Amino acid sequence: MKPAKLHIVTRSIFGLGLWFWFFVALLPFFWMFVISLRAPVDAFSTPPKLFAPMTLENFRYIWVEDGFWRYALNTTVVTALTVVVSLTMASLAAYALSRYRGSIGFWLLMAAMVFRAMPHVVLLTAYRPAFFELGIWSRYETLIIVLVAINQPFAIWMLRAFFMNIPQELDEAALVDGCNRWQAFYKVIVPVMWPGIVTAGLFCFLLAYNDFLISSQLMNGDMSTMTAALGSYMGQNQSVARLMHGIAGAVSITIPIIILVFVFQKQIVSGMTAGAVKG
Amino acid sequence: MRRSTFFSFVAPSVMSMLILIALPLVAIIYLSLHQSYTQMEIKEVKTEVPLFGGKTREVIRNVPQPVLDDNGNGIQVWEYVGAQNLKNAIDTEGLSAAFKADQELETPRSFIKALFDEVRDVDFWSALEFTLIYTFLTTPIIIILGFGLALATNRLTERLRGPVVFVTLLPMIVTPVVSSLAVYWLFVDGGVIAASLEAMGIGKFYFLADQFTIRAVIVAYGVWYAAPFAFIILYAGLQTVPDDPIEAAIIDGASPWQRVRYIVIPHLSPLFAVIALIHIMDSYRVFEPILVFGSRVFANSVQYLTYYTLVFEDNIHKAAAYAILTVLGVIVLLIPIMIKTFKDQKAGK
Repeated sequence: MKPAKLHIVTRSIFGLGLWFWFFVALLPFFWMFVISLRAPVDAFSTPPKLFAPMTLENFRYIWVEDGFWRYALNTTVVTALTVVVSLTMASLAAYALSRYRGSIGFWLLMAAMVFRAMPHVVLLTAYRPAFFELGIWSRYETLIIVLVAINQPFAIWMLRAFFMNIPQELDEAALVDGCNRWQAFYKVIVPVMWPGIVTAGLFCFLLAYNDFLISSQLMNGDMSTMTAALGSYMGQNQSVARLMHGIAGAVSITIPIIILVFVFQKQIVSGMTAGAVKG
Repeated sequence: MRRSTFFSFVAPSVMSMLILIALPLVAIIYLSLHQSYTQMEIKEVKTEVPLFGGKTREVIRNVPQPVLDDNGNGIQVWEYVGAQNLKNAIDTEGLSAAFKADQELETPRSFIKALFDEVRDVDFWSALEFTLIYTFLTTPIIIILGFGLALATNRLTERLRGPVVFVTLLPMIVTPVVSSLAVYWLFVDGGVIAASLEAMGIGKFYFLADQFTIRAVIVAYGVWYAAPFAFIILYAGLQTVPDDPIEAAIIDGASPWQRVRYIVIPHLSPLFAVIALIHIMDSYRVFEPILVFGSRVFANSVQYLTYYTLVFEDNIHKAAAYAILTVLGVIVLLIPIMIKTFKDQKAGK
């Protein structure tokens, strides 16, 4: 839609509003970055200071002495494997759902929608006693497989929307040429699906990376992910020094996300609009 | 595609969902119908109490101790209690008392008051109250704000749009625990916001110490967190608005506002519905701000209540009862979407 020619007052209201939003959207992150570079006295001084001496001490302490690198390593292992496994399983299912005409496919999608809306704590309530009994607590495999399952409903819906856009004639041609379904899938469909798979992968990554509720409960001690480890730095009765380390940790978690949004902005937008705008 | 091929393609995904999502849903029903405790027995314990000069006295006390099995572990007893856990969770007795109060006084006012006291006193009802307040306050605000932002961004030049979208994505994409913390640090006592408001002469605020302000801050966080979602969808939608009707409207002398009101909004109405539905589902499980702000007493959510019961009270049966109530809420919210999808499916065939 082409923008309309507006009266000067309306135009400036729009402009100011947008600048105000720009400011509001950035302010919490900006302030978090600023205080993470300060000594505790300056970070939470009353009244707050806009300028104060800067130091990297909080980051040095948390990464070198508190072993935050270990949590970062755990996060890397868990998110990487979660993304790969989720995408493999979900793209198989989504492809089948986009090509199959039976009613069972529809009911499967409905079930996936209900599962997607489930609050994660509901699942955690059941995992807690069961995993404890089975003795599979605090292991990479456990967290990965749980995150993969939680990712499935969303990934299936999103990938299906992408697969629907690929013309059926393409795989039918492959079938005529003597491929079976599996060959048609990975020789013909997957190569043209890469943009969609990358987009869905981003959202799988975000879900695994951002998860606090499940990760903090299924993993403990040295097995924690970065986001879950943040929990031990928070809380009202922590010392200010420890809180400062937590802020440095929070910034460390945010930086990869900012890079990700910067690099994959187009894919994130297309992923969000894939399901909604096209119908 | 043949049925058997279909099944082999969807099998891994469906299996994972069955075992790790569907089975837990059945398990919480089982958990909520039971109560468990460690079996105890009263044992006589003899201890030698030193008196003086090396003399001791034997003291016999009756102490409850867990019954141990052959391996030396305590024996857990599981007992079927029926719907008792659920009844405790929603406090049926308190509810019926509220209804009785109405019969005695027979004024709607006293009834509402009794109901209100009930909501304030019972964990589940107060958590549900704030969850619903949060959900139904943020939904219209994010739609209006997102639409306004989309219209404003649409007026920008190509070069400026990228940065606006980039900045707008951040509140939504950054780890919710981290973004809640970032907002929390702005609102702490004597923090940036409180100090600025005081410097401007508006007044002294302790945001986290009062029910109204802490709720307002959490709702504001919810708007800040979810408005980008509405913005992205509506901004993409604006690009699909056809130019012809708008040009026709300009020729007919429609004002910019009338064009938005009678052409753009009707064109985008399916998107408004999608945003509302997805946002309602997501905000029903609001968790991170409640955790980070430590606002359990003033503003709780059903998901945080269950989490708290499970993790801090370590009571899986009570938590399972809350979880079931949470699931019932999800289903109630989903029914309109499911009916709509079902109708679309039928129409498509």
